[in-house]
Amino acid sequence: MFSGFDRFSRVRHAFSQGVSRVAALLVPTHRPPPAIYRAARALRRLGTVVVVILVLFAATVAYSAVEVAHSSVQSRALTASFAPNATLEISGSFAVSNPGLYPIQGVTLTARITNGAGVLLGTVGVGPKDIDPSATVDFPIAVFFPVTSAGPAGSLLTVDQYLDVTAWGNLTYAFLFPLSVTLNETRAWGAPFEGFHVGVGTPAGGGTTVPVTMTFANHASSYDSGTVTFTLESPSYVDCGSGMFQLDVPPGGFFDQTQNVAIATGCNLTGGSVLSAYSGSGGTTPLPPEAIP
Amino acid sequence: MSAPGAKSPAPPSTEAGGYQIPSLGYRILIAALGLIPSFFLLIGLPVAVLTFVSSHGVALPISVDAVIVWGFVLLALGAARSILKPTAAYGPLSIATSLVTLLYLAYALSLSPYRLTIPGGSATVAAGYAGFLEIAMIVPALGRLAGVLTTVEDARAPKERLPFDYPA
Repeated sequence: MFSGFDRFSRVRHAFSQGVSRVAALLVPTHRPPPAIYRAARALRRLGTVVVVILVLFAATVAYSAVEVAHSSVQSRALTASFAPNATLEISGSFAVSNPGLYPIQGVTLTARITNGAGVLLGTVGVGPKDIDPSATVDFPIAVFFPVTSAGPAGSLLTVDQYLDVTAWGNLTYAFLFPLSVTLNETRAWGAPFEGFHVGVGTPAGGGTTVPVTMTFANHASSYDSGTVTFTLESPSYVDCGSGMFQLDVPPGGFFDQTQNVAIATGCNLTGGSVLSAYSGSGGTTPLPPEAIP
Repeated sequence: MSAPGAKSPAPPSTEAGGYQIPSLGYRILIAALGLIPSFFLLIGLPVAVLTFVSSHGVALPISVDAVIVWGFVLLALGAARSILKPTAAYGPLSIATSLVTLLYLAYALSLSPYRLTIPGGSATVAAGYAGFLEIAMIVPALGRLAGVLTTVEDARAPKERLPFDYPA
């Protein structure tokens, strides 16, 4: 009979009928809370659920991020080699592990390499790649420098120098946290033909041969294997003679050899030049020309 | 068995409408207990993390003082809201707490992305957390809506919610 009354109304109603207050309270009621109250309560509960989820998410992201930070990037040594079309290739790779609970998405890296004078030598880009939780992804790197004597990277063949490497990396961690990293590094570059010099002597006793001496140091990390061919050119661009040196110079090694080259009859080398080219497994690369005094 | 003359705690007030509002002392005690996890979450943990990061020479994304001030304001509002739950001030206090929380999140959002230079100076990192904070803003938005509804309910039918908040 009290269905639909709230407890206050129920007690008043019971009193009016001579029933005790306690007895009236014991009578079950089915009156639901007002809609506005239920809506407010539902919103507060929803807010609490969202807070709990966000706190748990933030805590696991922080834990995972620390785990990822502790697993350092594994990089393999970069190797420099000669490639076709007179280019120098620097290749290598680095591996990124993700021991965390969330994916690392859209990993991209762009690097810009300039010489000491700020001249752009080359760029390299990797990605975008995703790294799933508990996975390791390998990022291969390959950057090509055109090393023609006219190009800005030509000096890489014969001059040790410092290169400025600027790299930009972007990724998104745990869906919500974008991260960008900028790295600035100065790397020492060891030239494969450091101090390259071809010296042309004078014909001994008015003969038809001249001694040609080639010297350089291999400051690169790989062997200088192959041949260096050279041509002796007169000031009027006439080929007066040519020769070849066989190379097998280890990293850190020094090359100093002399050979006699036959000169064509009537050729005058004074004021001319020596044109050299290195031929290895990657093709032929011109070396800087040298003037003959 | 209590000692003669010992004061018994104040009994909760019982209304004829079938609800039982806890005494002020009891409500203060409950609010104080609620402050413990809130203090840990709003002040203790962030200040500990910021101090740890600062001790390693890394620039902070937000000052420790700002975290403490915002945290204490939110704690005070939350405690007042809890203590005054049986009164008509509950709804407006809920709205105020949500608005302050929203302002705090907006302030933190304005500081995103967090840029830091790795000690040594060769690397700069920018970490964005705007997306997370935007999602977190759902919470005060819901709280503000709930506060508005409670304020409307209290204005329309005072004490209507008390039997459900404090059933006898």
